[in-house]
Amino acid sequence: MQVLWDVSLTVDRGEYVCLVGPNGAGKSTFLKSVAGLVSPMGGRVEFKGNVISRLPGNKICRLGISYISEELNLFMGMSVQENLAMGAFTVDDKSKILETQDFVFELFPVLKERRKQFAGTMSGGERKMLALGRGLMSSPVLLLVDEPSLGLAPQMTATVFRALDVLKEKGVTILLVEQNVTRTLQVTDRGYVLEKGKIILKGDSKDLSQDKHVRKAYLGI
Amino acid sequence: MTMEKSQSLQLDQVIKGLKSPAGITIALSIVAAVAASIDNGFYVIVNTIVTGGMWALVAMGLALVFGVMNIVSFVHGEFFMIGSLTAYFTFTPFSDYLMDNPHPVAEALLPILAMLASVIAGIVVGILCELIVFRPLRKRTREQWVMNSFVITLGLSTFIINSSQFVFGTDFRGIVSYWDYPTLSIFGVYISFDRFLVFILAMLVLGLFWLFMKSSKFGRAIRAVSQDETGARMVGININGIQTLTMALSSALAALAGACLLFMYPAYPTVGLGPLYNSWFIVILAGMGNVVGAAVGAFVVALLQVLTTIYIGEGWDYTIPAACIILVLIIRPSGIFGSGVRGILDQ
Repeated sequence: MQVLWDVSLTVDRGEYVCLVGPNGAGKSTFLKSVAGLVSPMGGRVEFKGNVISRLPGNKICRLGISYISEELNLFMGMSVQENLAMGAFTVDDKSKILETQDFVFELFPVLKERRKQFAGTMSGGERKMLALGRGLMSSPVLLLVDEPSLGLAPQMTATVFRALDVLKEKGVTILLVEQNVTRTLQVTDRGYVLEKGKIILKGDSKDLSQDKHVRKAYLGI
Repeated sequence: MTMEKSQSLQLDQVIKGLKSPAGITIALSIVAAVAASIDNGFYVIVNTIVTGGMWALVAMGLALVFGVMNIVSFVHGEFFMIGSLTAYFTFTPFSDYLMDNPHPVAEALLPILAMLASVIAGIVVGILCELIVFRPLRKRTREQWVMNSFVITLGLSTFIINSSQFVFGTDFRGIVSYWDYPTLSIFGVYISFDRFLVFILAMLVLGLFWLFMKSSKFGRAIRAVSQDETGARMVGININGIQTLTMALSSALAALAGACLLFMYPAYPTVGLGPLYNSWFIVILAGMGNVVGAAVGAFVVALLQVLTTIYIGEGWDYTIPAACIILVLIIRPSGIFGSGVRGILDQ
């Protein structure tokens, strides 16, 4: 079934871009087709000037794109440490892996405390952090994050958003899909609004948060 | 203070473990084994451990293929048969030659060579099955993968059995023993050198396999695919590669078991069916796709068969385990070692 129609979206290096819209608009499908988990019916995805739309997911990961799905897709029967090690599957340099792991532990100290704990026995918030951490282990250039705040307590949401800010400072390009529109438009540079499979609005996040349609439909003002 | 706490925590875990179905089964098995040994002699335990080790090799491969690829395999016994055939055709010509020209070192190493040849044959056949049969099927299957793959393994099994019959005939091709060494006596139980060494070998392979799955990069990747295929793809694992590796590993384990047991089970076209049924008993008992459970379950089923042979009679050793499987399926469909968290190495 076709979910997306003529969706055109660009993210420049180092940008923090968001894609917002109601449930079922096709935001997740869009990210999945970039990540190579569903193959697009038409159109193309370009990364650093190369067409990547027909590549399988594992090759796309090797190019430096990390996708953090809504379902997280963690390895439930593995410990936190093992999950992180799996995140670095494409990295061969051992010292580089340790360095990234230290960075992840610094970003989410709770993961360091629970190194030995199985992912399946962790709380929702901790799982989110682990999924983000695992996605960072391959030192991605582009991070695709799907609904990181979904189902999280406000405090956890704050932690996750703070982590994304740190990553942005480090120069990671981020494409964020979120339902928490208020917060998202505060932190991102640019935004796209996706409704019924089509981009209906785009622009600077500041301008979008002033837009009449966005204010009415998403911000409840 | 913390020491005490962690100790009492461990004790709690042990007690909790003993109360679980797995704990109860293992405890009952040990009690039964000890009781039967007191009643009948120590050979009960020795026999159980030796046959259990072999069934563990076969059953683990079966559990692996289910856990990683979701294939309900009925072709697994044929890998066992290919292993025993390869071992026979590698071993006998050289063995005949050595009869006329004795050479102690070559005689000691020849069985190992035969087993290695079987492992290689197993790997080749496993990879061929994956590339020629399962991968094209996977591409074409949208739904009903489990049913489709089940039916295709049945077909493959029939095909391999009949090809083997066509090429090699229905003769029993067996050997008397691999090593012509004197029988060993352990705790007053006489055990042939073959059985002893084959058991040591099985334990060694189980240990290596465990290490591979637990701490090697590709072992971890296999577990990752079994736990979350999408997640595995997301971290850059080539799923096709891992599935080929899994198939190769699983058929190599079965072929090795076939080679190791050549002195007990001569090679003939349907020799794999017994080990196949046995492995299914074990895998159902342990919980589908649980490799650790399969290794432990192998010893439980081996004990059950040894006890059946002693107390009920020869020929009942497939009936009683089958009856127990029906009971397990009625009472606890997820298997005795089945757990909520899905993963092939979960205890």
